[in-house]
Amino acid sequence: MTDWTGSLSLELEDRNGKTVAKRVYFQGAFKVMRPIYTDDSGQVCYYLLNPGGGYLDGDRYKMDISADEGSKVTLTTQSATKVYKTPKNYAYQETVIRLKKGSYLEYLPDPLIAYQNAHYKQKTVVHIERGATFLYTDILTPGWSPNGEKFTYDTVQLMTEIYWDGKLGVFDHIKLMPQQQTISGLGFMEGYTHLGSMIAVSEQTEPEYLDELYEAIRSEESDFSFGISHLAIPGFCIRIQANATQTIERIFNQCHTIISKKWNHRPPSSLRKY
Amino acid sequence: MNNQLLSLFQLCDSNFPTGAFSHSFGLESYIQENKVHNQETFFEWLKVYLHEQLVYSDGLASRLVYEALMNDDLQQIWHLDHLLTIQNLPRETREGTQMIGDRMLKLTETIYGLSILSQYREEIKKKNAFGHPAIVFSMVAHGLSVTKQDTILYYLYSAISSQVQNAVRAVPLGQTAGQTISHQFIPELSQAVDRIIELTKDDFGIVSPGIELSQMKHERVNIRIFMS
Repeated sequence: MTDWTGSLSLELEDRNGKTVAKRVYFQGAFKVMRPIYTDDSGQVCYYLLNPGGGYLDGDRYKMDISADEGSKVTLTTQSATKVYKTPKNYAYQETVIRLKKGSYLEYLPDPLIAYQNAHYKQKTVVHIERGATFLYTDILTPGWSPNGEKFTYDTVQLMTEIYWDGKLGVFDHIKLMPQQQTISGLGFMEGYTHLGSMIAVSEQTEPEYLDELYEAIRSEESDFSFGISHLAIPGFCIRIQANATQTIERIFNQCHTIISKKWNHRPPSSLRKY
Repeated sequence: MNNQLLSLFQLCDSNFPTGAFSHSFGLESYIQENKVHNQETFFEWLKVYLHEQLVYSDGLASRLVYEALMNDDLQQIWHLDHLLTIQNLPRETREGTQMIGDRMLKLTETIYGLSILSQYREEIKKKNAFGHPAIVFSMVAHGLSVTKQDTILYYLYSAISSQVQNAVRAVPLGQTAGQTISHQFIPELSQAVDRIIELTKDDFGIVSPGIELSQMKHERVNIRIFMS
């Protein structure tokens, strides 16, 4: 697994109230754009990008991110992650994120679009020290096929492990295999097409926050289904089933705004894309 | 062997007072949304619950715990206890399962007096473990020299039969319908065991999105018969 199609490493630190990169390194089909500061909070935003435009058969991507004490960072992608058909070997992405105490890191990638016969596997491991704050979202679409048919991909597997204070605190494993499962049926997507997940870890998580988020999500008017729950460590997760990426994005933006005001006493910076 | 099997059957009985009958693991959300409303729709739910959730969590853990017991690898058991608990993202089912595990452990420790059960209790006391019914069950079955396959099969049977009893009360279904479902479900259980034997550690904890969502939703259900 040492032969990476693309790899990226980014180490961030706080320098007099401004978060800067201590070290940036990328090679192959993985790239990070120049840092963007959208307000005077010192929080930096990095856009990750895949110059090849998508993941191909057997591609292997690796990303290492670390946030030192007091650093504040937003990581996002420039556009959706596309996985093309993988006739021989699945495409794989491995991400390791480390948060030192007092750091804030949000990783908000665009949706995943798996094409017909694509097999994609993703492993995300996050190490969080006490006193750090982490926010993560992902959106799974029903993929893309030439005739517009949904769920024509082979497999999409997402594994997320979050270590909190050195101990595994969250283990999330989603594996959708539409050709082998009754994907739209009871227990799976329940007639919906898109699946969104949000995981937030912070010692500043009060039970009332969940009530407030719950009420805010409920006021959204489109057709969707959702759940929100406390993690076994300080923090919460939200899952949403809907019929459009935009619905999930709208809900996550709303939650992001609420939670940002609680945690950072300011609204999140807007991520301008396209 | 017959006496030992009978001894394990006591634990499979849905009347065994672990409190499992107070937990629907999301079934109640489906009933309230009218997605589960009769024998056929309940059977459908039960299949997904078994093949897409229990197999990858409790079922696979039961096998791995049994194997760890054969190798005297207690660390692996405490690790599985941890994994089983934290992979359960909905708080209500996570805490509910822990309560069932705890009660089952107290009872079985008194009845069977196996030293491994006392060790498990110690680990929980020291906060090194949470307590999980699949682990307690596998410890007892292993202690009674029941085979690995049968251990998994009987565990799944006990988990499924409590859900059938719950459905009889909550859907509601007639007693005959409940018994018919339990009978028709036997091949599903054997199939699940065969699948569990073939799985690898990498398959651990795969969730079925809809089932999980129904478990999270239940936390916000106001009028309820079940605790989860």
